[in-house]
Amino acid sequence: MQENTLIDVRNVKKIYRVGTVGIQALRGADLQIASGDICSVIGRSGSGKSTLLNVLAGLEKVTSGEIVISGKHLERMTQAELIVFRQLHIGFIFQSFNLMPYYTALENVALPLSFRGVPQIARLRQAKRMLELVGLETHMKHKPGELSGGQQQRVGIARALVTNPQIVFADEPTGNLDSNTSDEVMRVIIDILREQKKTLVMVTHDSHIASFGDKVIHLLDGRITDVALNEPAPKELTTQNEPNVRETEVNLDA
Amino acid sequence: MRISDILSTAFLNLWRRKMRAFLTVLGMVIGVASIVVMVSLGIGIRQATVESFAGTGSLTTIRVSSWSYVSSGNGGGSSRQKELNKKAISEFKRISGVEAVMPLVETYGMIKSGNYATDASILGVTKEQAEQFGITLSQGTMPGSGGSTTYEIALGAWTLQNFYDPDTYRQAIDKNGNPKVTTDSRMQLTFDYRNIYRQALIAMDNDDSGEEQTPLGSFYKLRVTGIMDQDNNDFSYYCIMDATQLEKLAKANKDFTNFESGSYNTVLVKVSNIEDVKPVKTAITEMGYGTYSLQDAVEMAEESTKNVQYLLGAIGGVALLVAAIGIMNTMMMSIFERTKEIGIIKVLGCRMDNIAGLFLAESAYIGFFGGALGLGLSFGISVLLNQLLASSGLRSIIPAYLAFGAVGFSIIVALAAGMYPAIRAMKLSPLAAIRNE
Repeated sequence: MQENTLIDVRNVKKIYRVGTVGIQALRGADLQIASGDICSVIGRSGSGKSTLLNVLAGLEKVTSGEIVISGKHLERMTQAELIVFRQLHIGFIFQSFNLMPYYTALENVALPLSFRGVPQIARLRQAKRMLELVGLETHMKHKPGELSGGQQQRVGIARALVTNPQIVFADEPTGNLDSNTSDEVMRVIIDILREQKKTLVMVTHDSHIASFGDKVIHLLDGRITDVALNEPAPKELTTQNEPNVRETEVNLDA
Repeated sequence: MRISDILSTAFLNLWRRKMRAFLTVLGMVIGVASIVVMVSLGIGIRQATVESFAGTGSLTTIRVSSWSYVSSGNGGGSSRQKELNKKAISEFKRISGVEAVMPLVETYGMIKSGNYATDASILGVTKEQAEQFGITLSQGTMPGSGGSTTYEIALGAWTLQNFYDPDTYRQAIDKNGNPKVTTDSRMQLTFDYRNIYRQALIAMDNDDSGEEQTPLGSFYKLRVTGIMDQDNNDFSYYCIMDATQLEKLAKANKDFTNFESGSYNTVLVKVSNIEDVKPVKTAITEMGYGTYSLQDAVEMAEESTKNVQYLLGAIGGVALLVAAIGIMNTMMMSIFERTKEIGIIKVLGCRMDNIAGLFLAESAYIGFFGGALGLGLSFGISVLLNQLLASSGLRSIIPAYLAFGAVGFSIIVALAAGMYPAIRAMKLSPLAAIRNE
């Protein structure tokens, strides 16, 4: 285990009961993610990657095993404690953006701050700064319906980052975007997170999108089959070329 | 979340579904209005009852009698007597809250005027007592001590109308309906009924029992100084004389009046405020005397109107209950519609209690607006009812406590109705945010 391990997943199993049958979504996953890691989790549909993200973000309980994030055992927390934990440590980027349609871009970004009890003036100021960071300073008063998919996701990114979280979870962040916009959005995410030295765990089924991460975690049938370290891809190569992948055996715990 | 953010967010959530919010509020308006109007009618009935008692006398006067009833606890009881004398009166005066004490020096006599006569209950009062106990005249002045042979008297409100011929029992009223005896007529007072009824005199003459007969009582000349106020229910029936004068006469006619000086059957105690009635009454009862005040009657009447009030309240309550169910239904629908939204704010870190708070605040808004508008409607209905029911004596009264209570109560009802939906919202899974429809 590394010195600066932020997320430590130990033998996590997740079984869904469907009628009398138990479906094993995770069959004993072990994983360490260091602070500042930009990780992609890739796997086919049904590989358990979404389940992994859900249990990491505390949206679901594990059936067995341990999840330790910055020293806190998520599996021992109640739902109320998990919400407070998310409020303080975690940002979340959704596939379908999940912006509140009746709020402007600015209000959407400010929303998580209101849950923390930040006064309106302060939270709108911070939200404005975040929107400038994702390049949407011209669209602050627009409602989600008046924004393109790429713009909406950038609002989503700003919203995930506005609380200055340690970790950002992204669930297929480009799943609803076309490929050009996808790359653009991915670059926004990666650039900001790298600059702010935040940790990203992103789930995707798209190997191209996964290649944006420094670390690519492969999931198959509820088990982590491979963790590959990725050389930071030169920006001009990212769109067409295969990313430069170097296979390693680091962090593949027995 | 800040309270202000919860309140503004909840208001916005309601505002986004105006029509539904309006209909739910309307249900609450009708519920609140029905309960307020019903209760206001109940209060009107109670008020009318109290007023009808207040009209029969002073609510701050306690009537103390030497006789009291002692319950033995098994449904039976016995009466006992304790002498009401000057000492007792000075004790009453010392009880805090007592403003004045007046022994009822009361005798029965007959007033004769020409061929006519009438019975009279005569009360002896001092000028000071008359003032304290609100003994008022409709005309003339209070009787004073008079001359050496004439006595001054204020006649009861109906005394002049009551004169009749003791032989024929014909009333002394002329064909225009006016009494033949007037305040200017010469009048005499006697305490011996044999002076009036000739038959009784004849019977006495024929009495051959051999017992020595009491000599006939004397006549006293009267001068009428005034007539009692007929609206003064406590005293209008009495004729009034100066207390010292009356006592003198009563003592002189002991054989007919059974007068015992220094001891009274009844003493009136006047207290400063209605609130003093109860403690003073208790204190006097504990001294061993019987007490009665109009308060007792009022309390009994209030007790009996209470049931009517409860019934009216319950009828109104049904509409409020239906409205509360409406709120619950609205909130449940709203939560099912917003399952995803609730999931999203949970993922984004909105605390469970804040989520419950958001939905409870929505319910409270419905309760508040329903209550406030319902109250407005109630005032309208109340005014209308008071015009329509003016002749029937029924009244609708909305006191301040009912008005504020109604709004408060409707908020509480709305909160109670919103409790279950709020808990449901709180428990919704954050996973709803992840699912893609």
